[in-house]
Amino acid sequence: MTTWIVIAVIGAASYCFRVSMFVILAGRTVPASWERPMAVVGPAAITALLATMLFTTRGQFDPADIGRLAAVAVGFVVVRRTGNVMHAFVAGFPVFWAIDLLV
Amino acid sequence: MSHVDDPPTISSVPGGAHGLRQAARDGVVDVTPMVIGVVPFALAIGTAIGASTLSTAQGLVSAPTILAGSAQLTMVEMTTAGVAPLVIVVSAIIINARLLLYSASLAPWFANRPRWMRFALAVPVVDQLYFTAAPRFDRGDLDETGRTAYFFGAAAWLVGAWVAAQAVAIFVGATVPEWVGLDLAAPLALVGLVAKSVDTTPARVAAVVAAIIAVVAVGLPLNTAMLLAIIIGIAAGTWMRAITRRTPAEQEVAK
Repeated sequence: MTTWIVIAVIGAASYCFRVSMFVILAGRTVPASWERPMAVVGPAAITALLATMLFTTRGQFDPADIGRLAAVAVGFVVVRRTGNVMHAFVAGFPVFWAIDLLV
Repeated sequence: MSHVDDPPTISSVPGGAHGLRQAARDGVVDVTPMVIGVVPFALAIGTAIGASTLSTAQGLVSAPTILAGSAQLTMVEMTTAGVAPLVIVVSAIIINARLLLYSASLAPWFANRPRWMRFALAVPVVDQLYFTAAPRFDRGDLDETGRTAYFFGAAAWLVGAWVAAQAVAIFVGATVPEWVGLDLAAPLALVGLVAKSVDTTPARVAAVVAAIIAVVAVGLPLNTAMLLAIIIGIAAGTWMRAITRRTPAEQEVAK
């Protein structure tokens, strides 16, 4: 029973986060002072998530192996050049497999 | 993203039902790299649920209810480890607090939608959907109806794949050879988005600062590192944006 309550409370709280601004900002013009930070939410959130995936495991510093780090670095460079997110897979996985074979 | 430069405007309105179908299809296509990225994560969570103390029903319900991988995995692992329910709830809520920022960033694009629709639009707000939709909305080629179709199209594909992959892993398990490196799909999808999003100096500053803080602060209690990293990254990016937007006269005064 406790687990059900935990799932329900986490789900309800998460939905409150999701819906809060959709309700509060309805029909309003967002002030410039608000828009400026919003413009960098994406880059900050994506890289925080990415760094957490690559360099930590369960709350501890634990960097990924060289093959994965190299694959991600190559994926970054390729997408910067082509602008196509799918190319991160096309370029990244072969790099990982090659290094995995060699090391 | 450039809300300040390009405020939400109705530019080229998609033409009727055909235009809306096209917008929804665009959402499906654009979010596909994210789907490829989240499926291995969903399989891993489903496998973890299979090995946990959660029942099959609890595992299946938790996927669409929490709808955020990090918080869900934290809940599964902490529950299995016998951690106090209050600590589990607080940890998961802190991890998901970043959803408030996504909500604040997305809400202006749907400000004039009916109330019931705004409640529905908020349901699938997750990292990958936000990272996909916000840059597309910034292009300004969709009106509010088009943005709604785009958002729901992308959300249906992303959430459907997420829940289905977890269900498959819970019921039949997921055994992919380790050499494939399937866990690499999620970071590759994210790095692709990073590469596309860091096209201005404030964005680059926000990204670098957030990444550094996320790693340096990893030992903080209750999984607060990522939220702290995002907030400090946003502050750094905003500061940089304020500096670079000053006129030469203002810069002289600042000196």
